[in-house]
Amino acid sequence: MSVEEEMKEIVAQIVHVDKSVLTREGSLRKDIKADSLDIVQAMVAVEDKFDIEIPDEEAQKFQNFGDFVDYVERRVAEKEKV
Amino acid sequence: MPLKGKLTLVTGSGRGIGRAIALKLASQGSDIIVNFFRRREAAEKTAKDIVALGVKAEVIRANVGDPAKLDEMFDTIATKFGHLDILINNAASGVGRSVLDVDIKAWDWTMNINARAFLLCAQRAAKLMEGRGGKMVSITSLGSSFVLPSYAVVGISKAALEALTRYLAIELAPEGICVNAVAASAVETEALKFYIREGLMKDIRQATPAGRMVIPEDVANVVAFLCSEEAFMIRGQTVVVDGGTSVAPFITAEKEERR
Repeated sequence: MSVEEEMKEIVAQIVHVDKSVLTREGSLRKDIKADSLDIVQAMVAVEDKFDIEIPDEEAQKFQNFGDFVDYVERRVAEKEKV
Repeated sequence: MPLKGKLTLVTGSGRGIGRAIALKLASQGSDIIVNFFRRREAAEKTAKDIVALGVKAEVIRANVGDPAKLDEMFDTIATKFGHLDILINNAASGVGRSVLDVDIKAWDWTMNINARAFLLCAQRAAKLMEGRGGKMVSITSLGSSFVLPSYAVVGISKAALEALTRYLAIELAPEGICVNAVAASAVETEALKFYIREGLMKDIRQATPAGRMVIPEDVANVVAFLCSEEAFMIRGQTVVVDGGTSVAPFITAEKEERR
């Protein structure tokens, strides 16, 4: 499964939405309707899943689901290089 | 150096009150395990400042709301050190909502981090304190006894934490383990600045008979006392650190009227 697919599984379960709602362009708050606690829980679950850390400053920059996926993909790739 | 040779775990000690407690106990000679969850950089900084005081520091990441992670943290402590002398249950989180807006998710998140974590930490810590005595201090807030705006679920979790402190204090008394709590009013930290507007900070300052807001070091000083042998006969208590706010609810109103 790709990083994006795995993230969809995680976020869909936390926010209680269908995976089809999770498009890259979808705004985390407006379209996906994730509240601040959903976002924190999703961060934590994704951090645990991929064994990375997402600093709060970075997380605050995520506007849509795609931003979140891009950041995690980048971090996972960096980790694999090491 | 009253705590020389002791080992202390402070949950949530990367920043704020936890950091101040970690530094205070380190300054009294205790080695410190710095637990953090979200900000590694801050935790590493706390650890560096602890080492500069001439004691050892160990950084462990764990969400105390997650029992599996909490267990991993204690497994690491058990393997690496084999004992623990002081547990400071400081890590906290919460969802700022009115009672009618608290859903199951917000309730569980807050209760698990603020109250259940102390239960699970205390159970593991008590084993590591066996035969050597120990101290446990939980950090709570005035929201456990008073109604604060948008604080419902946090206040309830802190009330549970204080009740747990009393039960633990009695159950662990025969083991020579002292368990107490420190309840602070609004403490001037980065977290507080994040949650409330500057205007409210000014109101809190004015409502505090002691003339200024409580700072993390005020809390740390009382925690250090409760961890000292002088406090041996204090058990199951919640010591309030609020500059007098809670015993003088009408003082501000009176001040306003005189204007």
